[in-house]
Amino acid sequence: MSAPAPSPLPEELTVPRYLEGEVTAGSLDDQVLAFPERKPPLKWFVAFAFTAALAAAGFGFIGYTVATGIGVWGNNRPVFWAFDIINFVFWVGIGHAGTLISAILFLFRKTWRNAIARFSEAMTIFAVMCAGLFPLIHVGRPWLAFWLFPYPNQRALWTNFRSPLLWDVFAVSTYFSVSLMFWYLGLVPDLASLRERTTHPLRKKIYTVLSLGWRGAASHWVHYEKAYLLLAGLATGLVLSVHSVVSFDFAVSVVPGWHMTIFPPYFVAGAIFAGFAMVVLVLVVVRESMDLQNLITLDHLEVMNKVILGVSCLMAYSYFMEAFTAWYSMNPYLHHIFRQYVSGTYGWAGILTLSCNVLAPQVFWFRRARRSYPVMILVALCVTVGMWFERFVIIVISLHQDFLPSAWHLYKPTPVDFAILLGSFGLFFTLVLLFARILPVIATTEVKAILPGAQPHRHGGGHE
Amino acid sequence: MPDDTRRQPGEKTRYWISVQEGTGEPGGRPAAWNEFPEGAADPPELPADALSRRRFLALLSASAALAAASACSRPDRGEIVPYTERPEEVTPGVPNFYASCFSEGRRAHPVLVKTREGRPIHVEGNDRYAAAPGKAPYRAIAEVLGLYDPDRLREPSHRGKAVPVTEAERLLAERAREARSQGLPVLLFTEAVLSPTRARLLAELGKALPRLEVVSYEASEGGGEDRVLRSLFGGTVRLEPLPERAEVVLSLESDFLSGEDPGSVRAFAAGRRPEGPREPMVRFYAAEGRFTLTGSRADARFAVRTGDLAAFALGILRLLVERHGVALPRGMADLPWPAKPLEALLGPGAGEREAEALARDLAAAARRGAALVVAGGHLPAPVHAAAALLNLALGSLGRTLAVWPWPTAFPPVGRREAEGALERAAEGRYGLVLFWGGNPAHAFPGHRAFAQARRETFVRMGLYEDETAQAAALVLPEAHWLESWGDFEPRPGLRALRQPALRPLYPAVRQGEQWLLGLLGALGGEKAEDYALFLKERWRREEWPPASPVPFERFWAAALHEGLVPGTPPPPPAPSAGALLPHLEAARSETGLELVLYPSPALLDGRYGNNGWLQEWPDPVTKATWGNPLWMAPADARRLGLKDGDRVRLSKGERRLESPVLVQPGQREGVAALALGYGREALSVARGVGTNGFSLLGGDGEMVLSGVEVEKIPGRQPVPTTQTHHRMEGRDLVRSLSLREWARGEGEGREGHPPVSLYPDQEFPDHKWGMVIDLSACVGCSGCLLACQSENNVPVVGPEQVLRGREMHWIRIDRYYEGPEEAPRAVHSPMLCQHCDNAPCENVCPVNATNHSPDGLNQMAYNRCVGTRYCANNCPYKVRRFNFLEWTAFKREPESLVFNPEVTVRPRGVMEKCTFCVQRIEEAKVRARVEGRKVADGEVVPACAAACPAEAIVFGDLKDPESRVSKLARSGRAYKVLEELGVRPSVTYLAQLRNVPEDTE
Repeated sequence: MSAPAPSPLPEELTVPRYLEGEVTAGSLDDQVLAFPERKPPLKWFVAFAFTAALAAAGFGFIGYTVATGIGVWGNNRPVFWAFDIINFVFWVGIGHAGTLISAILFLFRKTWRNAIARFSEAMTIFAVMCAGLFPLIHVGRPWLAFWLFPYPNQRALWTNFRSPLLWDVFAVSTYFSVSLMFWYLGLVPDLASLRERTTHPLRKKIYTVLSLGWRGAASHWVHYEKAYLLLAGLATGLVLSVHSVVSFDFAVSVVPGWHMTIFPPYFVAGAIFAGFAMVVLVLVVVRESMDLQNLITLDHLEVMNKVILGVSCLMAYSYFMEAFTAWYSMNPYLHHIFRQYVSGTYGWAGILTLSCNVLAPQVFWFRRARRSYPVMILVALCVTVGMWFERFVIIVISLHQDFLPSAWHLYKPTPVDFAILLGSFGLFFTLVLLFARILPVIATTEVKAILPGAQPHRHGGGHE
Repeated sequence: MPDDTRRQPGEKTRYWISVQEGTGEPGGRPAAWNEFPEGAADPPELPADALSRRRFLALLSASAALAAASACSRPDRGEIVPYTERPEEVTPGVPNFYASCFSEGRRAHPVLVKTREGRPIHVEGNDRYAAAPGKAPYRAIAEVLGLYDPDRLREPSHRGKAVPVTEAERLLAERAREARSQGLPVLLFTEAVLSPTRARLLAELGKALPRLEVVSYEASEGGGEDRVLRSLFGGTVRLEPLPERAEVVLSLESDFLSGEDPGSVRAFAAGRRPEGPREPMVRFYAAEGRFTLTGSRADARFAVRTGDLAAFALGILRLLVERHGVALPRGMADLPWPAKPLEALLGPGAGEREAEALARDLAAAARRGAALVVAGGHLPAPVHAAAALLNLALGSLGRTLAVWPWPTAFPPVGRREAEGALERAAEGRYGLVLFWGGNPAHAFPGHRAFAQARRETFVRMGLYEDETAQAAALVLPEAHWLESWGDFEPRPGLRALRQPALRPLYPAVRQGEQWLLGLLGALGGEKAEDYALFLKERWRREEWPPASPVPFERFWAAALHEGLVPGTPPPPPAPSAGALLPHLEAARSETGLELVLYPSPALLDGRYGNNGWLQEWPDPVTKATWGNPLWMAPADARRLGLKDGDRVRLSKGERRLESPVLVQPGQREGVAALALGYGREALSVARGVGTNGFSLLGGDGEMVLSGVEVEKIPGRQPVPTTQTHHRMEGRDLVRSLSLREWARGEGEGREGHPPVSLYPDQEFPDHKWGMVIDLSACVGCSGCLLACQSENNVPVVGPEQVLRGREMHWIRIDRYYEGPEEAPRAVHSPMLCQHCDNAPCENVCPVNATNHSPDGLNQMAYNRCVGTRYCANNCPYKVRRFNFLEWTAFKREPESLVFNPEVTVRPRGVMEKCTFCVQRIEEAKVRARVEGRKVADGEVVPACAAACPAEAIVFGDLKDPESRVSKLARSGRAYKVLEELGVRPSVTYLAQLRNVPEDTE
């Protein structure tokens, strides 16, 4: 390790270091690791009470559904899937940004990810938890949902490996376990720091157990880096595979509007899109409420917004290609359903999707928009809404008018549908709030790696 | 031993179990060794020696952990109680069939009642009934649900308090004796009396009560037909169209293809499926204002205002007389021709050219005595007079139209007479009023006779505590017809017996005749212990041919077994055409909105209102359930700014009614229609469903009202329909061909390339079940739907759930309109699980709950289903049904007795669908195996096919190239729905044929 030396280059020629002001290893620890020790402010409790109430109400309605039947939702024939699967796909998608930031950008050595990786990764886990809830509660007999796992039994019953739903079970559970391991592994050094800092005996005990005997020895770091790299590699594959498998639920079927070869990449792009929007939304709140302006900088947010703009263009291409394929197929059922996407009873949902996902992010061509809180919050909200409605378009509109007009029927959600959707948001934000309260929201070890002079060689900082 | 000599050193001894195996011949094990059906007993694929200790322990621990989790499911807590004394004729698990007879209104229909362990579970037709062998009217099929209706009366009551039977009998006798001693008349207000023995009992009662007045009234009849026929034949007659003998049929707003009379449908359909495009086919014309199911099947349909139908019929007659040399009946020379010319009557749709073709075709058919004109029972007298005149001129009487005298001395009376009796009852002129059957308080809404509750002189004998019962002090519970005895004359000269298929469900319940018999005894008349003996005695005296070599007991046993006794038809009464003139003179066409009131195809006059199956049975035309929306023509709806579900107020003079609207394509502008039988005020299912059309009927009972005002009122009331989109959107789903198009080979179009699949083809070792549905025969009557519901324990979900699209019927009749809204062409196509060879539902089920059987069935393992609903999304035919809620948790006994024990009752959260009646397939296979033969062609008949009066559904083994179903599937008009998807359905459709009149196409 070479000695730290001030950069000889003028300020405007350096690439952003994604840090503001004077940050040292000590000040960083004091700033980030102090949160779990402090009593949270009143606004935290207010926010927590609100989200926890939402989540509790959601679970209440889930209990009502399980006790009464799926009939309390708006699902019908032919729209056998509606909010349940929309929410599932939506939340799985939200999770993807976190893995992309923490794993793929890690592999690409993008240092701007270091400050936000922990947070995004935590969001991944919470989003996948929300997502995993829906396939479980959406089945007619949730108490038998374990039959989807291939376990040995004396009745010689086995699962159907041809069914995309079974692939989902594996894809989502693998995704969840790998994400959890990856996130936890990254947490270990910080947990050890917390263990050292705390004076509270109970907390000390808990952190001691959780930090798995981490002492910061060089051998620990060697193993840690290797394991982190390997898990990042594993998670990278999952970013692409999980949403591809989710898209197979649709692409493998015969339903017009679902049976499309473009679905896997299109779904992955959509997932990253929605996930980035959600990360921006939450980061802004965290940055302001926890006074982390120096660690999560506007430069961070600007990069995120650039990604949103880029993926938005990918989405526009996907929408166009999907429509072109439908037109080119000469398939009357497909022609009909694509007309229904933008006209007909639910046409507004398609228009909304296009405006939110394609038009709104175009403001990010302007640097001022990319660095403006109101604009980015508005666009992120648009994208979140747009991506939810994109799944509504794909699932509900495609189902409500398929092959035989005699079976067509409109779909109307019930209050229970909305309550459970809101409940899932409540659950997600409750978990986010708890996380911000009890664990370090920024990976101090990773940020220390980008502190001025922390780099192993060459002059100056960063990775020119 | 030769075996030992052949043994090689070191080889083990080989034991053989058959000579062939021992000698090493092919076919070693005899086929009989394969005791279980294919696939049933396949062991799990675990070789016996594959388990090492470690593997065993690993499996043991994993299974223990997971089995503990799966042990959470609740076991069936039902008890099994064996017979301590088994009735001789009952074998548990084997159904018994009893011949019986269903009747309603003027019709009686012999049926077979299927019972299991002593309880009726299904109604089928009687094979020996030549007019419709094996076919039962759809409402008879639904009646097993009525039998187990929990709302049924269980014991007699007096002023609302339950009383014992003896007390009830004493009270009834006391009332009658008081009336007799005071010299007051006694009124028996009842339904049409069809049964000779019932009539005999009434005659006996008349002797004991000299001032007995019997009023038999059928609320669903317009009365016009009866008036015309009485003057034509000099007495009440029954009229039955015989379309099997016709070549050209004209329907004047008649719904004779509704399936209420399966014989008419069967006979008509038989003439509608020619083998080739040049074979003869019945040509069918319809003229109507309302859009009837029957009219929707017409080759040419004239949209004529209902009030103009008499003029239309006379216009056609004029064409016949003036252009085709048809002679008018004697005495009709000064027939007043209608003022309006024929062409002024015709609306959109068939026009003058078709009218000329109709006259030409009728004249040509008349030369062979093969023309037939039928008129709807709800129409006014002039239409019936004109129809009778046409039939007389065309010589149809006795050829295509059977007429025979009313079988009893108690013919039905008109509404005016019935109302007169009720007026006198209201004024207290009778010492005793006995209401037996019918439901006059519903048919005469607001009548003052029923204004007072629990009137002391009123006695109600019926199944329910209904509107009429609430007006009576004494209420006597009547037995259901499935618990009763009786006899009928379903066709001229043919006697049918009704015998109970079970003892009455409740000890205090007895059939109406039994109560009257008790009354008769108490009044000092003929004493008979029980109505069964009374019936038998009458049969011994009057029906048993005295010269017969067969002893009476054997004759009686045979009659009960067969359910039918043929006899000589009574001589048909002779018509006197001149009597028609006064009726014809009453014909005049009206302007303004016409309202057609017609008996509901589901509930008739409301008597089936408490039957959930019939309430949820989609109307064959509108597909509406649970109610009677007002049908309005599209043009009228547009003019008044009305959409489906908007509410209107109808007024005719002082009489008013509010109803939601349903816009009916094809209905003639200026004609609205409303079904009778709804708007009941009593009973848990019937109450509050729809509106009571009887409240618009005037004293004359005329069911076609003119000058009715319609105004839109605020509020909406969505109509629960099972089909919400009515056009095919240019898709090739239901094929319809005219004979000429067929001759040009247009029906033969098939998809070009054979479908390709990544998966290996299914293999079918023994059978491959399949179905052919002939759309040319199918009239869309939807009887199959009720038979399926009864056979397969299909639940009722209620109007709110139908609105959400969650009805559970396993078979539905898709009905599409083509062409302009004012004059559309309708096609009907039954849709059920297609049992695809490459079923898209099967590969998406994550738990293998739906899979393929070795004989080609797409089967559902309900136990295994977790309810992901993916299969239903992926079903292109959308025939899968999901139990969104718990539909079958019956709280009220004895409803659960209606279940067919052969078919699993599905809990909530489980997917279900048509099984091709797998229980019937298995039953036939077991029978064939026991008898050591193959399943014969036609041996397996699913419930829908058994009930189909048109015999449009044929089921059988597609693996046998000589089976009927295979042959039909090779027909020139065979096609499969959505064949291009490559799912390879097992159901083949035969394109509908239309015999469009020449030079009008």
